[in-house]
Parts: sequence; C-alpha cells; structure tokens
Amino acid sequence: MNLPPVVDVHWGQLAPAITLLATAVVTLLLALWQKDSRQVAATALLGIVTAFVFNLTAFLGEREALGSFGLRFLADTPALAFNFVLLLGAALAVLVSYDQLPRMHLDHPEYYPLMLLSTLGAMVMVAAGDLVTLVLGLEIMSLAVYVLSAWRTRSRQSEEAGMKYFLLGAFGSAILIYGMALTYGATGAFVYGDIVAALDGGGLPLLATLGGALVLAGLAFKASLAPFHQWAPDVYTGAPTIVTTFMTVVVKAAAFAAVLRLVATVLPQLSPWLLTALAVSVAATLVIGNLAALRQRGVKRMLAYSAVAHAGYLGLAVLGTGHGGVEAAIWYLTAYTLMNVGAFAVLTMVVDSSDQGDDIERFAGLGQERPWLAFALTFFLLSLGGIPPLAGFVGKVMVFQSAIDAGYLWLAVLGIVTSVIALVYYFRVVAVMYFRKPEYQPQSFRSAASSLAIGVAFAGTVLLGLLPGWWHGALFVVGQLPR
Amino acid sequence: MIAAAVLVLPLLGAVLSAFARSQRAVVRVALLSTMTTFAAALFLPGAATVDLPWLPGLGVTFSLDPNGAAAVLVVVAALVMIPTALIAGLRVAPRSGGFVALLLVAQAGLNGIFMARDLIVFYLFWEATLIPSLILLGAFGLERRSAAVAKYLVYAIGGSFLMLVSILALKSLSGAASFHLTDLMVAAPQLAVGTQTWLFAGLAIGMAVKLPIWPLHSWLIDLNEQNHPSGAADVLGTLYKVGGFGFFAWALPILPAGAERLAPLLLALGAFTAVYGAVIATSQDNLKRLLAYASLSHMGIVAVGLFGLHIAGLNGAIYLLAAQMLSTGGLFLVSGMLYARRRSFDVGAYGGLAKSAPALGALTLFLIFAFIGVPGLGNFPGEFLSLLGAFQTAPWLAALATLTVIAAGVFGVNLYQRLFQGPPTATLRDIDSLEAYVLVPFVAGILWLGFAPAPQLEQIETQSELVVLQQEALQRQSLAPDSLAPESLAADGGER
Repeated sequence: MNLPPVVDVHWGQLAPAITLLATAVVTLLLALWQKDSRQVAATALLGIVTAFVFNLTAFLGEREALGSFGLRFLADTPALAFNFVLLLGAALAVLVSYDQLPRMHLDHPEYYPLMLLSTLGAMVMVAAGDLVTLVLGLEIMSLAVYVLSAWRTRSRQSEEAGMKYFLLGAFGSAILIYGMALTYGATGAFVYGDIVAALDGGGLPLLATLGGALVLAGLAFKASLAPFHQWAPDVYTGAPTIVTTFMTVVVKAAAFAAVLRLVATVLPQLSPWLLTALAVSVAATLVIGNLAALRQRGVKRMLAYSAVAHAGYLGLAVLGTGHGGVEAAIWYLTAYTLMNVGAFAVLTMVVDSSDQGDDIERFAGLGQERPWLAFALTFFLLSLGGIPPLAGFVGKVMVFQSAIDAGYLWLAVLGIVTSVIALVYYFRVVAVMYFRKPEYQPQSFRSAASSLAIGVAFAGTVLLGLLPGWWHGALFVVGQLPR
Repeated sequence: MIAAAVLVLPLLGAVLSAFARSQRAVVRVALLSTMTTFAAALFLPGAATVDLPWLPGLGVTFSLDPNGAAAVLVVVAALVMIPTALIAGLRVAPRSGGFVALLLVAQAGLNGIFMARDLIVFYLFWEATLIPSLILLGAFGLERRSAAVAKYLVYAIGGSFLMLVSILALKSLSGAASFHLTDLMVAAPQLAVGTQTWLFAGLAIGMAVKLPIWPLHSWLIDLNEQNHPSGAADVLGTLYKVGGFGFFAWALPILPAGAERLAPLLLALGAFTAVYGAVIATSQDNLKRLLAYASLSHMGIVAVGLFGLHIAGLNGAIYLLAAQMLSTGGLFLVSGMLYARRRSFDVGAYGGLAKSAPALGALTLFLIFAFIGVPGLGNFPGEFLSLLGAFQTAPWLAALATLTVIAAGVFGVNLYQRLFQGPPTATLRDIDSLEAYVLVPFVAGILWLGFAPAPQLEQIETQSELVVLQQEALQRQSLAPDSLAPESLAADGGER
C-alpha cells in the first residue's frame, strides 16, 4: 500500500502524547534549578491530568479517523482506553513517589521527567499500528525505566537491577527487531494491515513464522511471560519500591497492549502455531509465577512474582481475543493497576527509609498498629487473589470467560487451580497482619500524597468490583480491531 | 425494596459497629441491626424481585428473588442472628466491634446467597461470605487456629474456584443468553449428558465442601473446635452450611442429566456421612467437636433428602437446613455458656450440673431434643421428609440413613447425662437473665418450625418444583429418542 498523498494528522488524537512530551521537557528544565522534587512532581501530575482530559475528549468525541500517519499511530477505542490505564498508573506512581522520594534519599528531580517519558513511550506502544512505531515506543519507554530501576546509587541491588534490566532488555529488543526484519522480508510491510493483506496473498510461510515467533518473544520479554520472565522478579525486587510500583503497572500494560494488538491482527496470520506457543507460555507463566510467589518470605518479592503470575491471567485474555478478550484485558489491567499500585503503596509505608524490611514479620500486628493501612492492604490482596466483590474478581471472571469462549478450557482450569495457590500467599499476609502480635516497631512515616494514592486505589478497587458494568460497557465497542 | 433491605441493613450495622467506640454502643448497634433485619425479613414472602443490570457485556444481572426457599432461610437466619450478635457484643473482648461487624457482613452475604437468581451473583455472595468467617476464626480463635484457617481456606477456595470454572464453562458451552437462572434452566439441559456430568461434578465439589459431606468435611470439625469460645462464630458456621442450598437452587435444576447421573453417588455419600457423623460424635470428648460431628450427621440427612430428587425430600432437606440453624446454633451458644463457667470444652469436666443449674439444664435438654429430631420440634419435619423422599428412590440407602435417628438419640441423651446428671462435680451458677434472653428466640423458633411447618414448606416447594419439573422433562426426553437435544452442539464444546 502506498502512503496517502497527504500525511494525515489528527491533532486531537495526538494531544495526550504531545502533552506528556511537553510536560517532560518542562519538568526537565524545571529540574535544572528547582531542587525540591515536590514542585517537579506537582508539575508532572498537572501534565498527566491534562493529558487525561485530552484523552477523555478524544475518547468521548466523534472519531473522525482511527489513527494518524496512515494508521501507524492508532487512536481507536482500545488505544484510547489503554491510555487511561497508563495515565492512571503514572498519576498514582507520581503520588506514591511524592513524599517517598525525599524520605528514601532518592531526591533527584530528574526522576519525574523520566517517568513521564516512559509513560509517553508506553502510549506510543499502545497506539502503534506498525512495527516501527512499536519499537520506537518500546525504546522510549524502556530507556527511561532502565535508569529509574538503578535510581538508588551506591546500592548493589538497585544497580544490579538496572544493569540486568538493561542488558536483558537490549537483548529482548534485538530479538524483536530481528523478528521485524524477517517479517518485513516475508511480507514487505511494517503496517499491520498491510502485513495481513500481504499474507492473504501467500507470502513466505517459513520466514513469516520465524519473524512472528521472534516478535512475540521480544514482546513476551517485556510482558514477563515465561520463559522470558526471569529478569522480572530480580528487577522488581532490586529497584526502589516506588519504581517497581510504576514498572509493574505501566510497563506491563503497554507490553500487553502491544501483544494484544499483534494477536488480534498479524500473529495468527503469520502462523497458527504462534497462538499455541503463546498458550504454552501463558500456562508456564501461571504455574511458575504462582508457585514461586508461594515460596517467598519477602513481601516485595512475593508481589514481584505475583506480578509475573498476573501476566499469565492477562495472557488468557489475549488468547481470548475475538471472544471479549480485548475488553477483558483492558478491564483487567485497569483493575490490576489500581490494586497493584495500592499494594505496593502500602508496602512503601511499611519498609524503612532505605527501602529495607519487607519481610512478612514486619507486617505482624499491622492490623492493630496501622489499622487503615492494614485494612486497605487486605482489600488489595484479596482483590489480587480474585475474591468478590472486589475488582480482581470481576476481572478474573471476564478473563476466564473469554478464554473458555475461545476454546481454552484447559488453560482456564489451570488458571483457576493456580489461583488457589495465589490466594494462599496473599492471604498469608492478611493472616499475619490480623492474627499475630506486632514484632517490630512500625514505621511512623505518614504522607498525605501516599494516603491519597492508596485512597484512590482503594475506592477504585471497591467501586470497579461493585459496579463493573459502566467501564466494561465503555469498552464494549472494542470488539474488532482495525486491520 | 425488602430484598435490598435485608442486604443493606446488616452491612450498615457492620460499618457502625466497626466504628463504635464502646462495647455498649456495639451491643446497641448489633441489636438494632439484627432486629430491623429480622423485621424486614418477615415481609419477604411476596416481595418484589430486584433486577439491575450489573455486567451486561457478560450477561450478568444483579437479580434477587426473595420468594421460595429464601423466604424461609433468610427469616430463620435473621432470627438466629439476633441473640448471636447480642452475645458476641457482650462476651467478646477486646475488639467486640470487629467481631460483630464480621458477623453482620457475613449475614448480608448469606442473605445474598439465598436470594440470588443470577449464577455469578450467587457465586459472588458465596465467596464473599467466606472472608468474614475466615477472619473470625483467624483473629478470634483458640490456640491452634492457624492450621484450621489454612485447612478451611484451601478446602473452601479450592472447591469454589472449581465451581467458578464450571459456572463459566456452563454458559459458554450451553450458549445461554445470560447467567440468569431462567436462561440457564432452558439452555443447560440441552447439553450432552457427559458434558452435564462434568459440569455438575465441578459444581458439586464446591458445594459438597460447604454442605459438607464426607470426605470433604474435615475443615468443619477443626473450624468449630478452634473458633471463639463464645460459640457465636460457630453459629455463623452453622448458617453458612450453604452447600445443600447450592445444589437445591442451582446444580439440580440447571443440570438435570448430570444430577441424575451423580445423584446416586452423592446420596450414598450423604447416607454414609449421616451414619459416620453420628457414630463419631458418640465417642468425642470435646464438646465442640462432638457438636460438629453431630451436625455433620444432619448434613448427611440433608444430602440424602436432596439427592433422592423427590419433591418431599427436597422440601425436607431445605426445611432441615433452616431448622438446624436453630437447634445446632442454640447448642453452640450453650457450649459457650458452659465455657464461660468452667473454661473447658472437655465434656468430662462437667457432670451433675442439673443440681446447681437446673434452668440451663432444662433449656439444653430442649435444644438436644430438637437437635435429635423429636416430633413437634423444629428438625423433625425436615428429617422425616428428607428420609421419606429418599425412600422413594433409594430405599436401602435411606434405611441406612434412618439408622442415624437411633444413633442421634443415643448421643443426644448421652450428652445430656454426661453434662447434667450423675454426681455433681462442681457448683456452677445457673443461667442469668441475659443468657435466658439469648436462648428464648431459639426455643420460640424451634416450636414455630415444629408446630407450623406448612407455610414454610409451601414456600420451599415453589422452588423444589423446578428440580422435579426438570427431571420430568429429562424423562420425557429419553422416552422420545427422536426429540433428543442437539448433541452435536454440546459435544463440540465438551471435547475441547
């Protein structure tokens, strides 16, 4: 397909991304002379809210086109809905960091511009309608996160996390780009629609299969799907907790948005085997993530493995594409963003100022010492475990329903069995908080911004669970993705 | 309106009691909440249904129907909750507010279970009620509670998650328009017998855990033994034996062919459970373990009544489920009263109490009589009808289950003798006015259910008929082989 004669640009659809870019530049300049990171954080938050408003306008308004630049930068319902998830995650992460950054002695104002740039990259990934845009977004997002995960200088763990993430991330990107090259060789196209069109007329099956497999592997790395998940627990544990909060939601949402779109468009066309491979990978992720989480003593590492396990549940929704899987995935990611940020936000309040002390014993008696924190964490953990009437339950119902409708009953059964394991490790923390006497002096740190973040996450987790219909209804037009 | 009220009132009470500053305030909130809920529940029969869109994309509606068995079970549960919440507010210290709040949350959940007419909504309440009862055990239980919590969690969650897969697969494979009972009752019976059997088995495991029947019962014994010594949490445990109701309201009417296939097995397990519970109960020394096994025996009878798939047995099973809330619940509170006097659940530590505590002895004897099914008291109509129904389809197994009536008589009388007769071991104070007030609703309820069963049975029968009608439709189908359901559609789904 030839390029349209006039480059089509729809500024309204690009506004959220441009706003984030502009805010990142402004905050970076601000950081030059403003040594108080809280000012920078407030500016960043303002930018995120503005982007949110632009996105809302685009979401509710008339869609004059599905995207810009010849469908290379998409702005359809899934893309815009994913933007909400990303902006929500970013806003909550900024709030969680607001007071924690000074407290944890990580107080360099460049933190926030990097977070904004990473979110911008995630948005580009979500909007990507061709493979080149996808890689651009992926790299913008990843480079910022590599730096953030090594944010605690002079900490071996944090430096190791950054280094590991960078090396393996670069490796993953290389695989992805190689896969793209092979796909291009097989089809002569980068735009998803053109790839599908090219494959309808034959194409080179071996090259296409290989290309698709490598693209999938590269993205599976970012989405922490087994067997490409090994970096995730180490990086999530080694990085500062506030950064982990951001990574486990925003980066994961972007990766799944990309996988989702590929599965909805090109992957099954490249080779039907790729879906089988994905199903096996999802099964392995469910088993490994949950079993490993069960064995952790540290709550942070437990949550890190739980984040891997949730990639498995999201994978079920990806496989259910065409049977309500897209809506299920977006809905699940919304719920996951709220409950996961919530759980990590409470964790930041429990660990000490050097980010140490996340052993499960530290949570003993929290129900008496910090009743509100413990109460909120109980809800987040039960929601992560899929207990009704919280958001995580409805998410699980949607995800499993779409997988069963798509014929993956065995995967749904496996998902349910592993959910039982998951509930054991989530409930263990609840049990320690309420059923045991305090063993340590709890941290006395209090922060209005963190409380606000926890409050928003809590309200969202409960409200989405009690009234799941409206957000799902808004997504319901998602049905087909543009090809 | 009324249907929503019996959900909202307990929840409101829970919030208030969680924030109550003093124990007096907790007791007031507990009484106010449970009494208003009971008053509202009395208006349930004939009340309007609730139908709100909840998750239209997946075919889930927030549907509640306060008629049928719900009109009986919600009322009896609400009656039991009044004295239970009262004694919890007074006898649990510290943190009585939290205890009462958890009880009331669980009550709301139970009411939801009984009234739900959408399978997802039913599951939602089913599962949500687990958490308060788990936390009651974990936060207020005795020394060795952590093992009991773990066991309870694994059994309950394992069972109910399997149930969830079955529920989701049920709609997907049958192509039902929604998760509403009426849609499922039309679509699911069209499934092939094999598929129905698998789906039924998935539901049955989750429900059998909560019934409970052998071999999925062992969590119950530990739960009752380790719960808070006031007995209030055990009363909740007694109300929360909702597995039988799950079969009655969902599994049996939706999957008639699966039910027909697996009913003989489940009936046999029920009959065995009835005998097993009764026999083990006679040899227990711990009062709460004894009561747990004895009530397990009742649950066996419930299962026998249900899986006879006969109208009398179905009515009787649900009636027994309601009546045992009163008799078993009352005895658990008596065990708490005894514990308050001697700090022991060892039956051997008591004896000859009738001398020093004659009124307590008389009330206990009344409850024991109700418990073992003496005619004229609450359990009798339910037990009788359950066995009668089973006799129509499986006379030998029903005869086996009937033996438990004898065994129950033995352990009931034996229990009374060990506690209250013989040489006095100690002088204990007799029942005080509070305890008398606590036991009055139980006595009144037992007499009510014992002497006037007809209106309640009529209510229950409107729902039992669904099971019987579905079975009759199944028979007609198998008599007319030409009109077989489109097997191909179901088989296609079942093989994946």
